[in-house]
Amino acid sequence: MNFTFDDDQLAYRDAVDSMLQAEVTADRIRARWESATGIDDALVEQVQALGLGSMLVPESLGGLGLGPVDFILLAEACGRVALPESVVDSVMVATPLLVDVLDRGLGNGSVQRVIEGLCAGELSVGVGHPINPCINFADSTDWLLLARGEALYLVPTDQAELRAVKSVDPSRRLFEVNFEPNPEQRIAEGDAGAALWRSTLNRGALATAAVLLGLSDGIVRQCVQYSSDRQQFGRPIGANQAVKHLMADVAVQMEYARPVIHRAAYTVAVAPTRADFAVSHAKVAAARAALLAGRNGIQVHGAMGYTWECDLHIWVKRAWALTREYGGEGFHKNRIHQWLQQPNALLGPEFTFGRGSLLDSTAA
Amino acid sequence: MELRFTQADELFRAEVADWLSANLAGEFEKIRYRGGPGDEHHFVEERKAWEQRLAEGGWTCIGWPEAWGGRGASIEQQVIFNEEYARAGGPGRVGHIGETLTGPTLLAFGTEAQKSRYLPGIRAGQELWCQGYSEPGAGSDLSSVRTRAEFDEASGRWRINGQKVWTSLAHESQFVFVLARTNPDEKAHKGLGFFLVPMDQPGITIRPIPQLTGTSEFNEVFFDDAYCDASDIVGEPGDGWKVAMGLLGFERGVSTLGQQMLFQTELDEIVRIAKSNGAAQDPALRQRIAEAHIGLRTLRYNSLRMLSDNADDGSLSRESMIYKLAWSSWHRNLGKLAMDVLGPEAELLEAAPYELSKLQSLFLFTRADTIYGGTNQIQRNIIAERALGMPREPRGEAR
Repeated sequence: MNFTFDDDQLAYRDAVDSMLQAEVTADRIRARWESATGIDDALVEQVQALGLGSMLVPESLGGLGLGPVDFILLAEACGRVALPESVVDSVMVATPLLVDVLDRGLGNGSVQRVIEGLCAGELSVGVGHPINPCINFADSTDWLLLARGEALYLVPTDQAELRAVKSVDPSRRLFEVNFEPNPEQRIAEGDAGAALWRSTLNRGALATAAVLLGLSDGIVRQCVQYSSDRQQFGRPIGANQAVKHLMADVAVQMEYARPVIHRAAYTVAVAPTRADFAVSHAKVAAARAALLAGRNGIQVHGAMGYTWECDLHIWVKRAWALTREYGGEGFHKNRIHQWLQQPNALLGPEFTFGRGSLLDSTAA
Repeated sequence: MELRFTQADELFRAEVADWLSANLAGEFEKIRYRGGPGDEHHFVEERKAWEQRLAEGGWTCIGWPEAWGGRGASIEQQVIFNEEYARAGGPGRVGHIGETLTGPTLLAFGTEAQKSRYLPGIRAGQELWCQGYSEPGAGSDLSSVRTRAEFDEASGRWRINGQKVWTSLAHESQFVFVLARTNPDEKAHKGLGFFLVPMDQPGITIRPIPQLTGTSEFNEVFFDDAYCDASDIVGEPGDGWKVAMGLLGFERGVSTLGQQMLFQTELDEIVRIAKSNGAAQDPALRQRIAEAHIGLRTLRYNSLRMLSDNADDGSLSRESMIYKLAWSSWHRNLGKLAMDVLGPEAELLEAAPYELSKLQSLFLFTRADTIYGGTNQIQRNIIAERALGMPREPRGEAR
């Protein structure tokens, strides 16, 4: 039993974290809101230089061959700075889906070429999971992975129909996407397609959970600073229990979420077909922490927290948006409920980490 | 205990409803349900015209004494008016600060000359007021205001310098009442004055504050050698805190009942959407909708109790101390419920650049409910210290 990360994993996290802290400032995020694409190309190159583009691609396909446990701390770092670009989606959702397709011996000539392009940072891919009404930054992608029923299509973005819609979060560039299914672009269907979409949902929800945890951390940091600086009644407002407890409550929720997310990342890595309940738990816990962070964060900032000028809303609005991405609380609680209701559900301490499920592979 | 309205009250209710239905029509049809919290920047001109229509019908300032143009309406009648006004979709009142804050303050503390000068304009719906209390350094700690009022012997007027913030309707108002320091050597609630200041003068600059809704209901108001007449101080120099606190007492009144009718309208809309999009089938959401209904009923009973037990000596009953905390928390949760009922659609705006749907606006604006008018943290301190008599929270030295 070891719930910790190794030195390599932490060093990678630190490298990514410090680059993002330096380069993704609130001012630069606001500048993206005014730009045509909403994307900072130089930042994307820096992310690529740190190896993120290929990290979850097997070495046999030219990648670093790392896994979800290695990436989960990086996803949190992206959330901590409220990174607008779809780095997390690309690394943790789009790329593994394409790799999955190849692993199953499916796909067409385009799949391997697209993976190579992703590794090289030469192109980008968006995923349209049916649970989400829109695709973020679809207009800036080269390819889209789209669903029609259980079937999975890899479609050049310029052959799809994109309609821009506005998100409550100005950092997000959402598009409703429609397309004419072309059999030559279909890379999976039937049970295989369903299984691919299902593991995509888990990776998406897990990645979103990690970003939500990072957003919570970013909010708490700002609030600690503000409540230490802001004076009322002759002392910092953070000296008042009523104010500091608002943040302590968030810290508690964050630590209720953190090991749950790590566990879910582990399960997605080692037993992806039995990861539903772990991922759903992670999404529920992370969303809960992030929503409380947003709510209490605004409260700690007083009326300032309600202004456009205060940077806080960059984080809070992202949290509001992402709590709904890849399934809201109701959806994920229902999945946990269904898992618990199975006649052969494995409950009890010896099954906390699925030992039983390895003994009895029909269990999940 | 008599939990019903009298026959006379019911007749009054019918009279109000009839007048509103006849008048909130035609040119005013389009402002029904508009201009409320989160929507205050819309239809301002139409709402100014509406204020005057109300005045012509005798429906402004109905709680004021008849001598000042009011109806001397009973608390019950004021409740009924506010309920019917909200039910009819009456728009957000641009005159509400004058009617509910300035007016009662002048009636309680003002000179006859001040009443004669200012009450008729409010009653006629022609002179609008805004509030100059909070400052960048004086929010929860209101008594630390630094805006300075000095008597200028040369002109015989008060000269005001400083800054106010979170001022609603500043750019639409003719007057602002200002809490300012008359004696810079005195700290906290000593040495303050309460001033009536015209907005249209070179010494006043207004800057809108964009909110996270993308709109600007609030403003900063800068005073750089702004002036008011010698007679425009309410009470004496040094009485400002007493007057200001009296005013805050008037703020918690009958309008809460109308506010609850708006809440009911919002809840009804959420229930309607839940039925139409399937959210009503979700057991967790069903529970929360029922909780919302229960919570609103509790608010209503409490405020009716609060109004019928009006001690009239300026003291606050325990139920009035819990009221802000109760409604703001309930309403903030309602905003969250609205988003959860909408599901993934909750993220999507109506249109570019940043046009919110009604429920999104509800959600975002209710984030501020637990902040303005005394944060929940301040409210809990009031409940603990004043209602329960617990020891006061320690305060810092450097005031």
